[in-house]
Amino acid sequence: MDILRGKKKQIDRLPAFNSVGTYTADCMKAFDAYWPEAHRNPVKMAKLGAALHRLAGLESVVVPFGLTVEAEVFGAPVNFFEDSVKWPSVKKFIAKEASDLKVPSRVDDVRQLGRVPVVCEAIRILKREFEAEVPVIAYLCCPFESIGSFLVDSADFLKRCISEPEAIHEFMRVTTPYYAEIANSFKEAGADIITLREEAVSLNNIHPKHFDSLVKPYLKKLVKEVKPPRILHSCGQLWSPNLEVISKLTECGAEALTIEESTPMEKAAEIVSKAELTHALGGNISAYSVIHQGPKEKIQKSVELAIAKGSDMPMPGCDFWLETPTEHVRTFVEAVKDLSADLG
Amino acid sequence: MGNDFIQSLTEAVVNYEVEDAVSAAKRALEAGVDPVAAIEEGLAKGVRIVGDKFGAEEIFLPELMVAVEAMKQAMTILKPAINKSSRVEKSLGRVMIGTIEGDIHDIGKSMVGAMLTVAGFEVVDLGTDVSVERFIAKVKEVEPDIVGMSALMTTTMLRMKDVIEGLRKEGLREKVKVVIGGVPTSSEWAKEIGADGHGWNAMEAVKVAKRLLHQPEERS
Repeated sequence: MDILRGKKKQIDRLPAFNSVGTYTADCMKAFDAYWPEAHRNPVKMAKLGAALHRLAGLESVVVPFGLTVEAEVFGAPVNFFEDSVKWPSVKKFIAKEASDLKVPSRVDDVRQLGRVPVVCEAIRILKREFEAEVPVIAYLCCPFESIGSFLVDSADFLKRCISEPEAIHEFMRVTTPYYAEIANSFKEAGADIITLREEAVSLNNIHPKHFDSLVKPYLKKLVKEVKPPRILHSCGQLWSPNLEVISKLTECGAEALTIEESTPMEKAAEIVSKAELTHALGGNISAYSVIHQGPKEKIQKSVELAIAKGSDMPMPGCDFWLETPTEHVRTFVEAVKDLSADLG
Repeated sequence: MGNDFIQSLTEAVVNYEVEDAVSAAKRALEAGVDPVAAIEEGLAKGVRIVGDKFGAEEIFLPELMVAVEAMKQAMTILKPAINKSSRVEKSLGRVMIGTIEGDIHDIGKSMVGAMLTVAGFEVVDLGTDVSVERFIAKVKEVEPDIVGMSALMTTTMLRMKDVIEGLRKEGLREKVKVVIGGVPTSSEWAKEIGADGHGWNAMEAVKVAKRLLHQPEERS
């Protein structure tokens, strides 16, 4: 928490956590908290969200799982893949225009919709159990990612960023206050940190100039309305020798930024060190080729490298893989604890 | 004279103007322009220019997608006219593509399909959420030269391995080349599961397809 307050110098070592998804198939088995039930039952959700803390000493408990909670609020028919363990997705895209979304008349109505009450109840359970032990983290799938991946046909959504930008503005303008409300309901339920996942804004998806025009004004507003501390998470390639979107992300106002391995850590660290509002950087360790695949030595080496390159939060760049062995997560946790111990 | 019509097809694609591409295609046919030339010299040229800009990071996915949309729409006008024309369309090979089960997102796969079509391949698109069994049954039925599989999620990419295994069991593996793509995939993953190739994006996919079927790299 001190890192998020910009007080890195006052801590003994870096946190060994993950601020995005922390569920694995092993965890589901160990606590009898399988998907899809754990998406809809707050007790099971809390069990699964805390599983890697209990089993591997991970220094965070995180809910929910998957990125469809918010889209469901606006009417997306979520496919939970009953009787199997698969990431929730949607059965179909329901909106062509912003007016097709099921937008509640009052902003605070979202607190009662879809799985928002389930996530809030899971957070309350986790808060009771882990207060003063590890941070309770809740993540929010932010509007550009949520709408463009789960509510509107993704191809249409991207095409209209250039052919009909007004339509995209309308989606973002109408929905942003509701996303902020969902995040604040998580906060009020007891979440210590909110991770804002705006993942579809990398150079793999859109030009930084379109991030500036179509995403940034709304993301800034969202960050402003969500009570601190906030971690902004983004996937994909955020930097190239010609262009970068990292500095623009830091201008959105979150205390910390986490990235995945397609963005070079040293470049991101250089940019974040000059940022005014964002003062911590993390992520970048591959959840698949390092943490999932291992072996032990590779995990340790990657943690060491991430710290050397300027990571304040040497954590995976993404959710843990479903099939990741618990032992690998334990190795990761111990590596962060050991290798950052003499920093203070 | 034909050159002007061909030029306006290229321009419509390069300027991301879907409606202009359709009207340019109609005008070209009315003027008696050879539809094969309109595709190869007009649309394909436009897509190549846009593809180069994409590679140089001048433009990004949305622009590329609208350009491909313009190309596709113009193709629907030009293609039916091909049989009536004097020249015979030559196919570079038959490619069957699909997104692996569990996902309904298909930006990447559709782009690959469009780029392969404009490059001269015959494309059979199975759509999204394609089961392992359906991939294999369709290989028997369609007899493609290449099977292209796309996965968007790390959880679904494991299914690619099952398809390759299935093809092997059915004795079909030697008859087709297998190419994979999609955000979580890599050339290492392709090697690991025994695929023949991997493409990072739609332009690369075309190159890989051409290389695998021993076609010349790029016609100028």
